[in-house]
Amino acid sequence: MGLLRYTLWRVAQAIPVLVGIITITFFLANQIPGDPVEIMLGPSPAQGQVEAIRARYGLDRPAYERFLTYLSGVVTGDLGRSIYYDRPVLEMILLRLPVTLYLTVSAFLFAIVTAIPLGVISAKRRNKPADHVSRIVSLIGVSTPSFWIGLMLIIVFAFHLGWFPARGLPLPWASPADIRGAETQLQVVWTSLHHLAMPMVALGTLQMAQITRIERSSMVESLQGEYVKLARAYGVSESKIARKHAFQVAQLPVITIIGLGLSTALGGAVLTETVFEIPGMGRLIITAINNQDYELIMGTTFMFGVAFVVGVIVTDIAYAYIDPRVAYGEET
Amino acid sequence: MATETDTPTDTPANTEGTGAGEIEARVGLRYTLRQVRRDTTARIGIYTIGFITVVAVLASIDHYVFGYGVAEAIWYSPVQDPEQVERLLPPVGMENQFGQGTLEHPMGTDHRGRDILGRLFYGTRIAITVGFMATAIGLIGGTLIGAISGYYGGWIDDVLQRFTETIYAIPFLVLVIAFMTAFGRNLTFAMVGVGITSVPVFNRLIRSRVVSVREEDYIEAARAAGVKDRNIIFRHVIPNSFAPVLVQATLQIGVSILIVAGLSFLGFGAQPPTPSWGQMLSASRNYMLPAPTFSIFPGIAILITVIGFNILGDGLQDALDPRINN
Amino acid sequence: MSEPLLSVRDLKTQFFTEDGTVRAVDGISFDVHEGEIVGLVGESGAGKSVATSSILRLVDSPGEIVGGEIEFKGETIFGLETGDDGELRPRDEMLTEQEMREQIRGREIAIIFQDPMESLNPVFTVGGQLREFIEINRDLDSDEAKKEAIDMLREVGIPAPESRYDEYPHQFSGGMRQRVLIAMALACQPDLIIADEPTTALDVTVEGEILEMVTDLQERYDTSFVWVTHDMSVVAEICDRVNVMYLGEIIEQAEVNDLFYDTKHPYTTALLDSMPRPDRTVDELRPIEGVMPEAIDPPAGCRFHSRCPEARKVCREVHPEPRDLSEESEAIHAAACVKHDAFDVGYDESQPIDTQAGGGFSAGLTETGGDAE
Ligand code: SF4
Repeated sequence: MGLLRYTLWRVAQAIPVLVGIITITFFLANQIPGDPVEIMLGPSPAQGQVEAIRARYGLDRPAYERFLTYLSGVVTGDLGRSIYYDRPVLEMILLRLPVTLYLTVSAFLFAIVTAIPLGVISAKRRNKPADHVSRIVSLIGVSTPSFWIGLMLIIVFAFHLGWFPARGLPLPWASPADIRGAETQLQVVWTSLHHLAMPMVALGTLQMAQITRIERSSMVESLQGEYVKLARAYGVSESKIARKHAFQVAQLPVITIIGLGLSTALGGAVLTETVFEIPGMGRLIITAINNQDYELIMGTTFMFGVAFVVGVIVTDIAYAYIDPRVAYGEET
Repeated sequence: MATETDTPTDTPANTEGTGAGEIEARVGLRYTLRQVRRDTTARIGIYTIGFITVVAVLASIDHYVFGYGVAEAIWYSPVQDPEQVERLLPPVGMENQFGQGTLEHPMGTDHRGRDILGRLFYGTRIAITVGFMATAIGLIGGTLIGAISGYYGGWIDDVLQRFTETIYAIPFLVLVIAFMTAFGRNLTFAMVGVGITSVPVFNRLIRSRVVSVREEDYIEAARAAGVKDRNIIFRHVIPNSFAPVLVQATLQIGVSILIVAGLSFLGFGAQPPTPSWGQMLSASRNYMLPAPTFSIFPGIAILITVIGFNILGDGLQDALDPRINN
Repeated sequence: MSEPLLSVRDLKTQFFTEDGTVRAVDGISFDVHEGEIVGLVGESGAGKSVATSSILRLVDSPGEIVGGEIEFKGETIFGLETGDDGELRPRDEMLTEQEMREQIRGREIAIIFQDPMESLNPVFTVGGQLREFIEINRDLDSDEAKKEAIDMLREVGIPAPESRYDEYPHQFSGGMRQRVLIAMALACQPDLIIADEPTTALDVTVEGEILEMVTDLQERYDTSFVWVTHDMSVVAEICDRVNVMYLGEIIEQAEVNDLFYDTKHPYTTALLDSMPRPDRTVDELRPIEGVMPEAIDPPAGCRFHSRCPEARKVCREVHPEPRDLSEESEAIHAAACVKHDAFDVGYDESQPIDTQAGGGFSAGLTETGGDAE
């Protein structure tokens, strides 16, 4: 089956990139000035304590040796220990990662669900009022800082109208015991969605705008395709052409943009988590940096890279699923 | 012969049926300017950017030459509250709601009593500098990597492309944060970091062109006649990529301004008391309830600036690539 | 002769562009009878494709049919009348857009496009696309339509149609894709198939195979064809009657043999001279001189005068409409050229003029320009 082979091939292709990410993060982390051990132990540590800690975290060994150790650690799922928290990095990441993924994936769902109809309408009514409105909206969308949208949402909908909570993001599958005011799982889900609304919009707006723009131009192009002319000549209705014949081809560039947009969105999650005080990966990396926590910085950066690479693979497979030319090996 | 490249930023230089002379004419600066002048939205973009750039230049002169002396003499200091009192004044028009508001501070003051309008003015300096510098770094880096990669091919190409792919694989903001943590938390490294994130974009643009040109018949002929590839690439391919690069660079300036605003918001950009929009927004977070306008204006400043670059970029694209909108 | 299946009268289709009005089709008339293959020949830019899309009322904006009449089996596909306010408006019996879609397109008149590479949708299976059109136009349910689709694929010579049914267009060669498009047209069982340069994109051997197959199938299904091409050898091979187009007009109309052996219009002569034939050596092959002017600003008088080797002064002044020049007992043979006595405008006395064909280029008349089609 072409699709399965393509998937495997695509995953294999990602391995050098992952090694590259580790190399870059390791290199950057090694450049960090200052001494994490000193930060951890305070200004005047006891005799021998510094050396002991250094030995424990392997900081006394040469860089290349530590790199190889780190690399083999990553392969076995060991991302090292946080010096500051004295906990395994992976454990800390796994605690935070779901929150960030929950936020990012929802933001994309929001973006896709709003952008696709907007873009299609825009393309079908090219240069009519509906098109102008949608183009202006998407222009503003790509030009607005996501964290500022967050601040504005908080001011209006949390502070003045009081409709949504301004901070935090409980996960929908959290235990009701951990969520204030929730007794059943359903209430947890509700609380979670209630918290999700504003950060999702803040983070998703840029993606929404970008997808709308691509959807529009790609739909415009697709509607001029020969296959659309053929469908028309065989009596297919305009609405079916827009829904099926032109639509599916037009989604290919959109999928590519969604994949690339992940990079912006994951970065944007750092900002959104800061604005809404959400304890996700973004807050984790900022804390790690403020504490000069080498291993944690490397681990979180690496994880961000992994999230992006996985996301791109998923979108590539979606692309191959829609466009048979990819999976069957023809260059497009 | 028309070359086919896979990028959507394909431009008139590549459209069919244009003779060589016409290509030069169409990608030339004068042609571009004429087309842009005809496009209303692009013109609005130019005016917006022009205005902000002038403000930024004036602010820079005042900063570097006079040490904010001009601002202080005619108005107030953008970096220091002379009275050192903590106070938040609302903008004119909001008097009734918040009790005060003076014409002296039309947009009100920040938490340290500094005039918001003035700080916005002086914030243009950071935004514009960073936008242009970061893009220039990305442009130069990306062009070099793309040209070398496409020119040499083989393992050099592989290594360089894997490298840019890897850079691309770390979410922009995270990469810049990590980069600045390693090298220094100041504006210079913010610019370099943001510049690095745009290297892959320009690399891809240039490389695809170099590669496609390398395979052209007339290049074969030139090579046979003893013309060096390097000359072909630097005298022909790169100048001919002017149009798509210009479009991309314009849009990239907007993106860079957004990223740097985000960095400043997180505390990784310009350090206080230097006025920057992102950092103003960061400070405003603690005063969102009593003084919402403190949060509103810097965001609008960013929005207007970035919109300026985006509509100029779109306008350039339309002007230079008639296929998109016809 | 019986009532024609399709009758086009004085059809005018124009494109309203920024640079002016392009008169892509400028008053053409022709008929297609049952079981006939009618050729529509001319260089690219002559308006052939616009004419065919006008028949299906599928002219894309900024193009518009502005005048004339198209009748198909007694239905009015296009027809205008003058309203009470003096404005032109569609006649009441003209089919609505919905009727066109539901009754005509695909069901009665099917089309085969020029580019088999682009015409099939790359993201759907070949069979699926075929089945969809059969379902729409033959009121079959999906299983029956699938069976029909596979039969049709076999009919047009696609080996192992059951398995190829589930393949995608990119897995088919150009010739195979064109066969699919032909299968598509035939499967809908229309009375008329418009073939818009269907073999232009293919190489000569494949072209030959396809032409042979079409003539064969045409006899068995008794479908009429409008065959659009710029290639006289294709015309010779399959057409019964031919219309030669130049710059939006039909300038000669005849049965295929008459056209080849009793050519009446200098443009047709030029076209024939430019075509390789077994009885001629390569040296005798003469390409047509000059470039067709743009339909945005057609030359006055005879539109061919800028390139016509036989042009005389009068050709610049008189605009000839096609006239039947045949003897009474013969089939109609119409041509639009004033050199024939029937026009009687003083051609013989008129001075010859310098044209591109006569060596020098008449300055400013022609520009290398975009294709009107
Ligand atoms: S009318 Fe004159 S110009 Fe036109 S085809 Fe006849 S001879 Fe040539």
